[in-house]
Amino acid sequence: MRAWRAATAAWLLALVLLPARGEAATLVLGVQLEPPVLDPTVNPAAAIGEILQGNLYEGLVRFDAEGEVLPALASSWDVSADGLTYTFHLRDGVRFHDGTAFDAQTAKFSLDRARAADSANPQRSRLAAIREAQAADAHTLILRLSRRSGSLLQSLAWTAFAMISPNSADNATHPVGTGPFRFGAWRRGDSVDLVRNEDYWGAKAPLQAVRFKFIPDPSAAYAALMSGDVQVFANYPAPESLAQFQRDPRFAVHEGITEGETLLALNNRRPPFNDIRVRRAIAQAIDRRAVIDGAMYGHGEPIGSHFPPHRPASVDLTGRYPYSPPAARRLLAEAGWAQGFAMTLKLPPPAYARRGGEIIAAQLAAVGIRARIENIEWAQWLDQVFARHEFDATVIQHAEPMDYDIYGRDDYYFGYDNAAFKPLLVALEQAMDPAARREALGAIQRRIAEDAVNVFLFQYPKLSVYDRRVSGLVLDDPLNATDLSHATVADGLNGFDPAPTSASESAWARLAPWLALAVALAAGAHALGWRAAGRRLAILAITLLVASAVIFLIVQVAPGDPARFMLGLQADAQRVAAVRHELGLDGSAPHRYVEWIAGVARGDLGISYTYRIPVTQLVADRLAVSLPLALLALLLTALIALPLGILAAWQRGRWLDPLISAGTQMGVAVPNFWLGILLILLFAIILRWVPAGGFPGWDAGWRAALSALALPAIALALPQAAILTRVLRASLLDSLHEDYVRTARAKGLSPLAALLRHALPNALLPVLTVLGLQLSFLLAGAVVIENVFYLPGLGRLLFQAIVQRDLMVVQSVVLLLVVAVVAVSFLVDLCYAWVDPRLRTEARA
Amino acid sequence: MNRASFTASFTIGAALCLLFLLAALAGLVWTPYDPAGIDIAHKLLAPSARHWFGTDQLGRDVFSLLLAGAHNSLGVACLAVAIGMGVGVPLGLWAAARGGVVDEVLMRGNDIVFAFPSLLLAILITAVWGPGAVTAILAIGIFNVPVFARITRGGALSVWTRDFTLAAQVAGKGRTAISLQHVLPNLAGLLLVQAMLQLSLGVLAEAGLSYLGLGAQPPAPSWGRMLNEAQTLTALAPTLAIFPGVVIVLTVLGLNLLGDALRDRFDVRMRRA
Repeated sequence: MRAWRAATAAWLLALVLLPARGEAATLVLGVQLEPPVLDPTVNPAAAIGEILQGNLYEGLVRFDAEGEVLPALASSWDVSADGLTYTFHLRDGVRFHDGTAFDAQTAKFSLDRARAADSANPQRSRLAAIREAQAADAHTLILRLSRRSGSLLQSLAWTAFAMISPNSADNATHPVGTGPFRFGAWRRGDSVDLVRNEDYWGAKAPLQAVRFKFIPDPSAAYAALMSGDVQVFANYPAPESLAQFQRDPRFAVHEGITEGETLLALNNRRPPFNDIRVRRAIAQAIDRRAVIDGAMYGHGEPIGSHFPPHRPASVDLTGRYPYSPPAARRLLAEAGWAQGFAMTLKLPPPAYARRGGEIIAAQLAAVGIRARIENIEWAQWLDQVFARHEFDATVIQHAEPMDYDIYGRDDYYFGYDNAAFKPLLVALEQAMDPAARREALGAIQRRIAEDAVNVFLFQYPKLSVYDRRVSGLVLDDPLNATDLSHATVADGLNGFDPAPTSASESAWARLAPWLALAVALAAGAHALGWRAAGRRLAILAITLLVASAVIFLIVQVAPGDPARFMLGLQADAQRVAAVRHELGLDGSAPHRYVEWIAGVARGDLGISYTYRIPVTQLVADRLAVSLPLALLALLLTALIALPLGILAAWQRGRWLDPLISAGTQMGVAVPNFWLGILLILLFAIILRWVPAGGFPGWDAGWRAALSALALPAIALALPQAAILTRVLRASLLDSLHEDYVRTARAKGLSPLAALLRHALPNALLPVLTVLGLQLSFLLAGAVVIENVFYLPGLGRLLFQAIVQRDLMVVQSVVLLLVVAVVAVSFLVDLCYAWVDPRLRTEARA
Repeated sequence: MNRASFTASFTIGAALCLLFLLAALAGLVWTPYDPAGIDIAHKLLAPSARHWFGTDQLGRDVFSLLLAGAHNSLGVACLAVAIGMGVGVPLGLWAAARGGVVDEVLMRGNDIVFAFPSLLLAILITAVWGPGAVTAILAIGIFNVPVFARITRGGALSVWTRDFTLAAQVAGKGRTAISLQHVLPNLAGLLLVQAMLQLSLGVLAEAGLSYLGLGAQPPAPSWGRMLNEAQTLTALAPTLAIFPGVVIVLTVLGLNLLGDALRDRFDVRMRRA
């Protein structure tokens, strides 16, 4: 314990001595989801493009805000009259961040790699029309098509078809592109840094560095903006608090529309949803306006088909199935469901789905359809709904632009099957001139609406909040990316210090616990006698072994295949098998258990399924939050409980004692997470003394870091202090009856002096035991409290890992916490022996 | 504890528990509004004569939700205690009656379960088996088992030293029969007091799990989840984050006070866990 504290103190001191912040122009942006990898050419996660598109990666062409195609790495292009040959004229003097020159050969490499038969590219099918790519000369790329493809240019603007360097391909964690920013660092679960590309072919970015901070919770997003932890939230996830930013002069709010159609998706292959009358009845049972008001606080535009209403080709079909419960009941009766039916509604985590789903369930109930809500995590949504089609209905946003082609896919999750639809998609691909394309798009929208495939709810709004001192942001983008190449900040705004933090802290974090354990063990064993210590150590080892087996068993029965979840939606069986092998998931369970435990004994906690880096590395960063938090809370607990307990015992029978007793009764009854919420309400929202949550990191200075830990530590400590006060009081009162205290009093000592000098040392024994138990409560309680305050500690890592099915992290973090708890109680035993001389002699005798 | 404070804590504790019980029963049959009645037009209303505690983000009446949430909270805590007693008490009796290896193995097993931070394993179980009231009951119930096993064993061991058990043995009664007929009735007070304590811990644990989204699922109302949902709205509708918390505190307080009073009444000396 002592060495632990010493290490923490030394490390805090080092942070204070770190150099002052530089004068660089930097910006921190909040994004809701963390990408699983940073390579958009192999993974479909929209979060990759959200941070890297246009900033780090560039394609041959790009979108403007309206979805029109503009030149990017290709400065111009020609299309042959028959629409089968595309000639791209590439920019000169472009280099990848790894130094490789960009030319027609590398462009051909990028596209060939994306469209190859064994390609893992999530959008591969969009390039299916390409027969051949040819590098005519260094700066001319020719694409020959086997059939006309009216959407080819738009497809080439997707992040999945970014130009990549042949020398850096197949690198999912250190992305290399041609953009105005190059890769800086990726702190898993926390942030990605990009730094300015000084060799950029175009105008250099004004900002020296940008940081994308991952903030999944809507209320944490609110807190981070309000406290200035982030300066920009381009896709702000909490519409309920937008009005507050609109009123606040420090912030600018931008409202637009995304490409995201929000649907009540229906499983068209299952009865009764295979009956068009039932689907139409459901469409008429839903009041879109109420859903938008309730789930999105009025932000969002109603839609009548799968098409963004702000695009020129859009046809307004919102009147096709007007809200009318009586009409819905009639249709249901016609279909033979006059009494209604029961169904399940599976809802993924975002607020639009959870809140929207509850409203929809209530609206369905009004026409006799009993929808049972099932809240599921993304991993389960991908597995149950998307991959295995085990669902009746779900609420989901389709964020991709121009994704009406999903209605033509065989075996897509909602199971739309109408022979009349596919020819419409073919007609669209054949249409080359704008008027013909518009006509074809109109036909597609009408067909989808006519068949009432899904219930089309609303177009998801683009809500951006940013500090007024930031300018030049390009927020409207069909791919939902935030182009930062022209962004500037006014003087006085500095997002973060781009100097990398020292790597020594993770080495420390790894070494310190072992060092502390060794010192404490030696000291304790010396005090207790080696034999007794050895016996207890053996019990401890057995306990840990059994505990690890229990953890392993519980985790191994978890549903969902981590390999499938890692690979995303388009993975084929072969790749899944390969990844299972890579992760060691194909061995037998006992074999995997032994491997795991052997690794843990060596200090190797395994490889995270999500991030593919060692779990120890993830844990080291998180310990820097959780450990100081637990120790701070422990310190507070002792600082509050010791004086109160003594005071209560000293003032026994007078007015102060019952007052303290009543206070501690209340304290024991208060759930710590509610206390946390109240503290946020009072100190962060009403008084604005401290940030409402989040953690700026120790590199932001120890003052900022400690002030972020203050409220969580208080929330953790108060209920524990109440317990400890009661224990101390009771234990002091017991001691007061002992002969030696009476003797001391008889000698003429004052009651207080007798209490402090004679009763207290003896009363401290049970206090020590309780304190040891409390450290384990604090460590476990931190799991909840870290979620209240959005602290990037072990608890949040654990929770995140559960949601992402990152079983290796779950397993290892839980084991680590159990080890900590068991070790602490063992150390308390040793301390006990050290404090109480009687125990020592007994043990030795 | 002196007489006055005993009476005070008994009265307050019993009153709060009764209130809680009545609310849970009332919530089953009657609430001022339909707790599932979504009314978007009237969302986030401040407390008023119509809606005593205001309305939530979907326009539901908060008072009705709290009433309806009471039986969820009570149900989970009671069933978890039932699991703990149903398994733990027989184990404790058995360990005390047999002694030796059986005793040693059972008590070491107990220690291992104690080594887990209870909340952590509950989170693990609900996360893996899917969130819901049933998994919450199991997760909390498992931790009640060693508590009851340990306290039963301790109590039973002291009863076994008493004269009447010796007499029963001499009369030729089996150890099982003695455990059930003589030991168990003498432990009633002890177990009742412990049950009150575990009930209050169960209410807290259920609230914590629900807060994390691992307890009862919507639309079933739950106090913990109400707090979770209120958190994104603290700036907009602070009362939403207050009432469910107050209700939890009063419930736990009531159970604790009643437990304390009963402990004094039965003169049970509690072990410090």
